[in-house]
Amino acid sequence: MITSALSGVIARIRSYARGLRRPTAVEAEMAEEFRLHIELRTRDLVGRGVAPEEAARQARVEFGHIETHREHARASRGLRILDVLSMSRLDVKLGLRMLAKYPGLTLVSVIGMTVSVAIAAGAFAAVEAMMSSSLPLDEGERIVAVQNSSLEDWDGTAARRAVHDFVQWRRDLASVQDLTAYNGETRNLIMAEGVTDVINVARMTASGFRVARVAPLLGRPLLDDDDRIGAQPVIVIGFEEWQRRFNGDENIIGRQLRLGSVLHTIVGVMPEGFRFPVNHQFWTPLQLAHERGEGPAIMMFGRLAPGATMEEAQAELTTIGRQASAAWPETHGRLRALVLPYTYPYSGINNPAAVMRFHAIKLAIGLLLVVVAVNVSVLVYARTATRTGEIAIRTALGASRRRVVTQLFVEAIVLSGMAAALGLGIAGLALGRLSDMMQGPSTPFWEQYRLSLSLVLYVIGLALLASVIVGVLPALKVTGRRVQAGLQQITARGSQVQLGRMWTAMIVLQVGIAVAVLPYAIYVAAATLQRGTAQERYPADEIVRTFLSMDESGESSLSGAAAEEEKARLLAGTREFLNRLQAEPDIAGVAITRSFPGYEWQADLEVEGGSTLEIQYNDFGVGLLPLFVEMVAGRDFTSADLGENSTAVIINENLARAISGRPENVLGRRVRFAAERPADGSEPAANPWLEVVGVVPDFTTTEGIDSDPDPLLYRPLALESAIADGDNLQIVIRLRDGPGQQFAGRLRQLAAAVDPGLQITGTQTAANMRREARQYQRYLGIGIAIVTLSVLLLSAAGIYAMMSFTVARRRREIGIRAALGAGSRQVLSGIFARAGVQLGAGVLGGLVVALALDRVAGGVITRQLPVLLPVVAIVMMAVGLLAALGPARRGLAVQPTEALRSD
Amino acid sequence: MADQADLMPGTLDLLILQAVSLGEHHGYGVLLRIEQITGGALAIQQGTLYPALYRLEHQGLIRSTWGTSENNRRAKFYRITAAGRRRRGEQEAGWNRLVAAMSAALNTQPGTV
Repeated sequence: MITSALSGVIARIRSYARGLRRPTAVEAEMAEEFRLHIELRTRDLVGRGVAPEEAARQARVEFGHIETHREHARASRGLRILDVLSMSRLDVKLGLRMLAKYPGLTLVSVIGMTVSVAIAAGAFAAVEAMMSSSLPLDEGERIVAVQNSSLEDWDGTAARRAVHDFVQWRRDLASVQDLTAYNGETRNLIMAEGVTDVINVARMTASGFRVARVAPLLGRPLLDDDDRIGAQPVIVIGFEEWQRRFNGDENIIGRQLRLGSVLHTIVGVMPEGFRFPVNHQFWTPLQLAHERGEGPAIMMFGRLAPGATMEEAQAELTTIGRQASAAWPETHGRLRALVLPYTYPYSGINNPAAVMRFHAIKLAIGLLLVVVAVNVSVLVYARTATRTGEIAIRTALGASRRRVVTQLFVEAIVLSGMAAALGLGIAGLALGRLSDMMQGPSTPFWEQYRLSLSLVLYVIGLALLASVIVGVLPALKVTGRRVQAGLQQITARGSQVQLGRMWTAMIVLQVGIAVAVLPYAIYVAAATLQRGTAQERYPADEIVRTFLSMDESGESSLSGAAAEEEKARLLAGTREFLNRLQAEPDIAGVAITRSFPGYEWQADLEVEGGSTLEIQYNDFGVGLLPLFVEMVAGRDFTSADLGENSTAVIINENLARAISGRPENVLGRRVRFAAERPADGSEPAANPWLEVVGVVPDFTTTEGIDSDPDPLLYRPLALESAIADGDNLQIVIRLRDGPGQQFAGRLRQLAAAVDPGLQITGTQTAANMRREARQYQRYLGIGIAIVTLSVLLLSAAGIYAMMSFTVARRRREIGIRAALGAGSRQVLSGIFARAGVQLGAGVLGGLVVALALDRVAGGVITRQLPVLLPVVAIVMMAVGLLAALGPARRGLAVQPTEALRSD
Repeated sequence: MADQADLMPGTLDLLILQAVSLGEHHGYGVLLRIEQITGGALAIQQGTLYPALYRLEHQGLIRSTWGTSENNRRAKFYRITAAGRRRRGEQEAGWNRLVAAMSAALNTQPGTV
């Protein structure tokens, strides 16, 4: 029994293999056998006296339908799959012809699906760019990042002061080679001619170049000797910088340049395109001699040793980390050492949950296409339903259900294929522009927004899924039970449509969804676009913002006495710099701030004798507010307000209204910040009361969808406290006319003249800043608007199609009623009444859902609903009634005799 | 042929196995042989023979080789395999049991049960 089973299996496998390997030969053989059979039968019949032609005909009839037998024969060989896959050119041609025959349907469907494919592709590419875990370097996938991740401090700064750990790990880790530490800095570059520029420098241990495995174009890379304390300061520069600043000087090696106050000798030039570790063109050695927990905040990376896996490296590092936790619990007790793909820390992917989130985003975007496909399939179903006659005939002629469904599937593939190709094209263009937009000094060198192979496969997958929804599902429904009935429905004018209660339900549903969702979508699109094109309420072209700091400083490298010394130097330098700025003839005013207006922090504010409000707040120096606006009431800060115990605050009109109605009435009112409850749950100590001394207009724009400006409170900022707190200081300058071309350079020179260690960065007009911030909103708004429009279009098309088919099937009835003497007005009103009820039900349902949605979303668009809802509802109803009009009038135009004619 | 009975499902396979067990035939020949051994009493749509032949070949119960037909054309000849012979025996036994059971049932007279 076993041998017979085995031989059976062997026989099957042989048969499959032959059928799949040489399908054409198999088909040809089958055809030959059939032909021979009919020939022999004919011969026999002729032998019995039948006339040759008659014999041939009879033989064919006796044989039966050849195509059917062929299909069954294929099935019996287990080659059914070939049938499904045998999409002949004819099917594709037929598909194209169908698309051309219904241009309206085709256009609407293609537009809808193209938009969603483009969006899905774009999102996919963006996520891929951020998640790409391999570097475009030799064996880039084996380069890993190593970091100390803090279990509580999400900021991670403390954990990154890991120089001591780095030294130990470099020594002890066997599964990671050439462990490298680096720290990115912004430095003042002073060229021989005194011109100061600000550059990004990677301070990196020499092993970093070994990890990258890229040889320099000229000279040498950094060497281990350069990392020693006391070694001569050297620097390696990148190709683009070599061309730009040094004109590609062949004798560049050995020249010197000054970073801050230190002269560095150029020892090497890297080849074109090399921007390792992130986006750098300058590399200096990183010297390490620090106590545990001190030193610069570093990033670490290395190469997996040959044969080692990331899991092994992680296991080894975890063991070492545990030993450290045990030995030094105060500093290392809450740290966890991680090995990650190199690129992940930059995208904020620090754990498997984040990876899952990104994958989920990719899938979720694809769902958008599914929703659109379902909508399109409704349209296609309506169209397919009119072809029941054609389908019935084909079935009678021998086509199997599978054959018919396959052909309809191919039509759907042609449709979604077009949409996919167009969508990919659009996405490609958009990605190109996005790439240009995103290329900046901080864009990592490995992040490339482009059409990758996996993206194309993703889109193909989406297109196939859409084809199944659009083609197969309606086809299965239509070729179901009613095919035989379809045969009886064929009239001279084409077949009637079998529509039932389901259609009414679908019309109601389509209208309801449109009415429920579109108002919100329209509002979001409009608000986002408005946000993207709004103008500032102050002369943004005349206001410049710049950052001031010390070169070779920041929170990274100094601590203790050295840090204090530097702060004193920064204070003196800034004071002098501000004075000199003020003296410039074209500068109307200068002031300091912690953060530019519009970029505030959130807090809870208690009002004396009133409630607690959620507000935003900022700290401004004396004279900042007058640079922007005029006071509405009260006064600006003065130097008297800069003391330790100062209580003066200024608020904006919005907050004033929230406190007590009118701006004048609010002067002298007292407020205080709500105290934070300490970790042990005890009663918090109250914050001191502050007094409102001035009110300004609402002049900053906000980032949220809600167009109401936030309630804002401003505290006075003294230069000493700003510098003592160690935040980057922002200087705001009001110009009389707008900045000239080289304003940033002028500022740098001015600062260098005061102290070469003063660093000027990020110089921008307010207009530019806001324009950049808005760009994102603009594109988002445009994107949402496009999607909303296509959804609107699809909804309208769906309603139109369904209404017109519903009425079309009653054409005969209309004709009969007209023939029996009903007036046209009577007939039409009957139709419209019915249509109106269906549409009305949809509108009502949609209204309810829209109101519920608004409640859930926190009443965001409650004010706009009274306008948007009726508009959408009226548009949908108009579309529906219009759709009913055409077929109804055609019905009335039918001659009574034709209407009464039976099939 | 007015008094032909319709072929019951599943019996075509058995008939084919029987036909080829009596000798090697091409498709048309198998049909003729079946007509001969059944005395022409069964109505078979001729084209349905081939899916059945292919199925039996796919299952390894019959084997085919190319040869020349009586009118000098290339033809595929089918012959039974050992596995086919075993299956034919099993199916024959099953068929006989069925026939016996049906006969017994149909010959039952009222009053005897």
